[in-house]
Amino acid sequence: MSVQGFHIPQDVAETVALAARLGSEAYFIAGGTDLVIQMRRGRRKPGHLISLQALDGLKQIESGAGLVSLGALVTHKQIETAFAADPVLYGLVESAQVVGGNQVRHAGTIGGNICNASPAADLLPQLLTLDAEVVLTGGNGPRQAKLADFLLGPGRTTRSADELLTHIRFRRPAGKAATAFLKAGRRRAMEISVISVAACIGLSPDGRLEDVRLAVGAAAPMAYRAHDAEILLQGHKPDEDRLSRAGILAASAAVPISDVRASAEHRRRLVAALLPRAIRQCLLRIEKAAQ
Amino acid sequence: MSQHSVTRYPVSLQINGERYDVDVAPDTSLLDVLRDEFGLTGTKANCLEAECGVCTVLLDGKAVNACITLALQCQGRQILTIEGLAHGGELHPLQTAFIECGAVQCGYCIPGMILTAKSLLDTQPDPDEAAIREGLAGTLCRCTGYQKIVDAVAHAARQMNQQQSQIKTTTTGDRQ
Ligand SMILES: Cc1cc2nc3c(=O)[nH]c(=O)nc-3n(C[C@H](O)[C@H](O)[C@H](O)COP(=O)(O)OP(=O)(O)OC[C@H]3O[C@@H](n4cnc5c(N)ncnc54)[C@H](O)[C@@H]3O)c2cc1C
Ligand code: FES
Ligand code: FES
Repeated sequence: MSVQGFHIPQDVAETVALAARLGSEAYFIAGGTDLVIQMRRGRRKPGHLISLQALDGLKQIESGAGLVSLGALVTHKQIETAFAADPVLYGLVESAQVVGGNQVRHAGTIGGNICNASPAADLLPQLLTLDAEVVLTGGNGPRQAKLADFLLGPGRTTRSADELLTHIRFRRPAGKAATAFLKAGRRRAMEISVISVAACIGLSPDGRLEDVRLAVGAAAPMAYRAHDAEILLQGHKPDEDRLSRAGILAASAAVPISDVRASAEHRRRLVAALLPRAIRQCLLRIEKAAQ
Repeated sequence: MSQHSVTRYPVSLQINGERYDVDVAPDTSLLDVLRDEFGLTGTKANCLEAECGVCTVLLDGKAVNACITLALQCQGRQILTIEGLAHGGELHPLQTAFIECGAVQCGYCIPGMILTAKSLLDTQPDPDEAAIREGLAGTLCRCTGYQKIVDAVAHAARQMNQQQSQIKTTTTGDRQ
């Protein structure tokens, strides 16, 4: 059965009303980089497509001193460009720039990356470390949720079919802070993550790890925060031994799959090796920014 | 489900500066419209899953994969295909550079490669070799081993920057 309807609503209210009227047969389409391929493979069979292309208000990044707000239709390329010279949020650039090739990054959006909810979605780990919140609008008006609560499992979120994700928001880490994201794939470009790690680190004036937020992607049914590793590091100086113990703790929380791309054991070792490296990258960025 | 029961929607596309109108099904790709409706077969088809880049066109100036872009998503937007790159019979510097550097073998990837490169140079006029390789990563070539393609893009960038600075010096010259 092919798609029967294609709709281009002009604002959020019209979009949500359409979605409520058409029911669960209707799919939103943003960049289409996930959905169109899923349709081709017969994995999704929308009766109607509701295209978000005219919702210009959701294509903006607003980055004030305190709060950062990303419209759901912001593309990977926009993220790459907007934070290119920002050491505090540079981890978001690293996350966005490993997604596919330039063509996919021009079309693919942050909203699609989140709502598609792939275990390997590359924007998720860093957004989790930023304690990002999602803002949705549905028939019952807008609601807000923590990204960590919104994501349920592979392809599953708490979003109901008629709810539109409109914004992603987080508080900009204050003080001596930085972010970093590292991804291991089999080749450098155009490869979904075998494993990915993200760190958001804040240092106290005397050089202790004051704010430690760590996350791991592609190592479990959903990207997760490595809370045990965070607790181990919190309040301590970042010495090598403690960093590597944190890596091992984060790896032990993984429930990786074995597939053609890597064995579960290899994936765990990658988490243990990459997480300390991401933290050191943050420390380096903090140091550089202070110079 | 029989073919004629599919709803078709009118869409108006600006392709290479000209307006094209067509009725398409909701899931028809831009690639199919370009090739099958308008005979613009310079845009190639291969994997149909955004993996190889041979179908690359510029949508509002930015490289995208036409194979996974729905035609209806392009309503009123500017599309540039390889057929629209040369101006008044004169090749674009990228096209000239690909010929001069011997960067073309079978040629199948080249339309997509050149448009991927154009999109890169439009935002990053002076990329180093690593930036060129990174910029082209979404488009694959089975033949050349990439070195000559990278050389051609670097060469074209130099040519374009030279032309730009010549234009600048003549305009400042005029003002004096
Ligand atoms: C060749 C290739 C390589 C890729 N490589 C990577 C990679 O390395 N890392 C990675 O993370 N991803 C990768 N991707 C996946 C993809 O590009 C991203 O997940 C992209 O961000 C999805 O965004 P989109 O706008 O294209 O979503 P769409 O395909 O338009 O939508 C995806 C899903 O989200 C829903 N949706 C979209 N927007 C909203 C909204 N605002 N509100 C509610 N629901 C919404 C849609 O209904 C659909 O179910 C790759 C894709 C391709 C084709
Ligand atoms: S045919 Fe479109 S990317 Fe391969
Ligand atoms: S020249 Fe043959 S694929 Fe590139």
